[in-house]
Amino acid sequence: MTFFVKVLQIQSIVHCLIYIDLLILSFSSLNPAVITVWFLSVSAIAMFCNHPVITILTLTGAVLFYLIRNKNGHLRSHLFFLVLFLILSIANPIVSHNGATVLFVMNNNPVTLESLLYGINSSAMIVGVLYLLRSFTQIMTSEKLLYVTGRLSPKLSMILSMAIRFVPLFSKQGQKVNDTQKVLGLYKDDNFIDDIKGHIRVFSIVSTWGLENGIITADSMEARGYGTGRRTQMTRFGFTFSDGAVLAASLVLTALCAAAVAAGKISFNFYPRLISSEFGFMGIVGSAAYALLVFMPLLIETEVKLRWNYLMSKD
Amino acid sequence: MELFDVKGLNFAYPECTENTLHNVDLTIEKGEFVVLCGSTGSGKSTLLRMLKPELTPLGSVSGDIRFKGESISTIDRRASSASIGYVMQAPEQQIVTDKVWHELAFGPENLGMPREDIARRTAETASFFGIGEWYDRDTHSLSGGQKQLLNLASVLVMDPEVIILDEPTAQLDPIAASDFITAIKRLNQELSMTVIIAEHRLEEIVPVCDRLIVMENGRIIFNAPPSEVIMNMNNDLLRFMPSAARIYRTLGNESEECPLTVRQGWNFIEKNFRTEIRSLPSQKKEFKSDSYALEMKNVRFRYSRDSKDILKDLELKVRQGEIFTIVGGNGCGKTTSLKCASALVKPYCGTIKVFGKKLKEYKNRTLYKDCLAMLPQDVQTVFMCDSVREELKLANADISSLPFDISNLLDKHPYDLSGGEQQLAALARVLAANPKILLMDEPTKGLDALYKHKICKILHQLKDSGVTIVIVTHDIEFAAECSDRCGMFFDGHIVSVGTPDEFFAENSFYTTAVSRMTRGIYDKIVTVSQAEEICRLNGRKDGLK
Repeated sequence: MTFFVKVLQIQSIVHCLIYIDLLILSFSSLNPAVITVWFLSVSAIAMFCNHPVITILTLTGAVLFYLIRNKNGHLRSHLFFLVLFLILSIANPIVSHNGATVLFVMNNNPVTLESLLYGINSSAMIVGVLYLLRSFTQIMTSEKLLYVTGRLSPKLSMILSMAIRFVPLFSKQGQKVNDTQKVLGLYKDDNFIDDIKGHIRVFSIVSTWGLENGIITADSMEARGYGTGRRTQMTRFGFTFSDGAVLAASLVLTALCAAAVAAGKISFNFYPRLISSEFGFMGIVGSAAYALLVFMPLLIETEVKLRWNYLMSKD
Repeated sequence: MELFDVKGLNFAYPECTENTLHNVDLTIEKGEFVVLCGSTGSGKSTLLRMLKPELTPLGSVSGDIRFKGESISTIDRRASSASIGYVMQAPEQQIVTDKVWHELAFGPENLGMPREDIARRTAETASFFGIGEWYDRDTHSLSGGQKQLLNLASVLVMDPEVIILDEPTAQLDPIAASDFITAIKRLNQELSMTVIIAEHRLEEIVPVCDRLIVMENGRIIFNAPPSEVIMNMNNDLLRFMPSAARIYRTLGNESEECPLTVRQGWNFIEKNFRTEIRSLPSQKKEFKSDSYALEMKNVRFRYSRDSKDILKDLELKVRQGEIFTIVGGNGCGKTTSLKCASALVKPYCGTIKVFGKKLKEYKNRTLYKDCLAMLPQDVQTVFMCDSVREELKLANADISSLPFDISNLLDKHPYDLSGGEQQLAALARVLAANPKILLMDEPTKGLDALYKHKICKILHQLKDSGVTIVIVTHDIEFAAECSDRCGMFFDGHIVSVGTPDEFFAENSFYTTAVSRMTRGIYDKIVTVSQAEEICRLNGRKDGLK
């Protein structure tokens, strides 16, 4: 009998562990502040350190994360990034003529290998950060953004929230006024200048409308006690154990990498010749830490997926 | 327990010689349901705003207002903003934030409540009002009715002791309005919430209220239970009252109780009147013209390729010189059909002819010159200038040729006008284009009974001068009173057409209160005046006059 109880107890503990783990459903469901810290630290390191190893890590991590989130879609944005990458890479050797190894001479100007590689490295960094930014804006809905700004200043967050609401309202009213005025013959002739004039009038009256409505909104705010004293902020984002773990991991990894960069262990000179610093132990640890940091969302997503499949397959 | 105690209140707006409120005395008990009515400009809103310290207008005040024994000017602002809830007319503009849940949390946040309390309050309120399903939505994507319900909920989340509502249903369609009124009734009955409400739609609300207060020119002229007030009021005010009460006032005598609901009205007629004559002699109206002003044939429309059809094989023929009304529920495509007819959107299938000419043949926007005009649902979109005078100048309108008088409004800003006045000013602007066919989308939205009557008269004058009018409306009583033919819109097309008498007499749900009240007693009785006439013709059972 006691044995039986023990087995049951162990089983329930195992279950509990599984459920605690499952609190992370994906990287994007973490607390927005944690996501923001992660994003800021990765892009800061990527932009401050131009070592090709860091750049390659950033680019692969960013592209893979974007792919895993968006599957096969968004072909157009990939194409856009590719073109951007090519243009930026070629632009540098055309403009900058530093470097010792001359490849060929164009219009009496030398085009150098170092300059070309520098161009490729920097454009890879820019495209990598842009990919990250794309994923970040996908994850950070307006609600999450407001939560993060609210942590900094509740007033700012309040104003942002009102602004976000106002944009669709304004354009909807503009469309309505435009329709009405069309039927009432505001656009008298079918010509371009008349159309522009009409649109300006519509814009100006919609602005008046916005101000007029602002008075009602202000009344409604005051009626509900706005400005009577200290405000609190309601949020729908908790701070769980996994949030803490991810936050701590991000901070530690960033610190390790930043220390290595600051000590000059991860640095790279393109001009006049390509010279990489001695990595040494610190440099290797720093680069490994950065690799872990960049791939953390990928690791989390994959792990969660595997565990989900495992749990489902058990029933 | 007395919640509000108002004594000898006078109020005048700055730079106004005349008082807006004259010597108002009023007490409101806890748990009461009080309805405030009166025509536009009678001082209802001003009085309500005086009861909410945050919204009290600037001006010279004398007299005394007490809330729970304390003078209202000395109450702590935090306490008063929580315990006196206030809901205004405009559903859209009262909303402050971008998400539904955040809007609910807005009030408690301002009070500095701890996070856990806010979460509990919003959850509780959201479930009471059934908001849970759209808790995550963006506020701008809600329908008008949902928005107004959200406004009510986000006031109630602060746990007020009294809730003041200033014409909350004026901008809602009848179905949403009736849902909203049901929510208020529930609050009063289930939570014994004190309710003070100013309203135009009294058919549903008068039967449940404890007291009816009538205002005129800034004075309270009646303050008593509804049946008592109805006995004493004049004919203009009587137009605001439920149909049953109006019939009773002309035909009943004082020994009987005043009927307020449809059921009571049915009992009143059934008990007191003979039924030898079942229907009124029909007045067949001959149409002079057989040509059509507007023809729509097989019209199909959808907003994007993947969406559903909004209009499905719509067939509609409007004769020249008639008033045709399209009634029907929300989102069935009524407004879209008007947009198609005025060439704002293009159907992907079917033909539309205006005066026998296809829309395509009206080149260079000639359709909108001396031919077709539309008055939109949101009349504010008509106005482009800072005063009504400039507005009319812009449109080259001649005030003297209008069938109504708006000379008193000329120097005001269009946005400062009341709902009814805005409607008239917009109509003046629209008529300046000399339309031969006028399309109107919900012309009675937000209007009180007197303005509705006025609009109805104006439409008949326009009709006599040869204008064809197509109206889209939710307002069944209005459709019954003013149209020559009615059509019922359902599921993207018109399912039935008939004269109001036939049309509303055949319907059993979608019909006027009078038609429901005389069901099984008389035939084809749709409006109050018809009901009064047939009851007179038949005479009373007890032989009294």
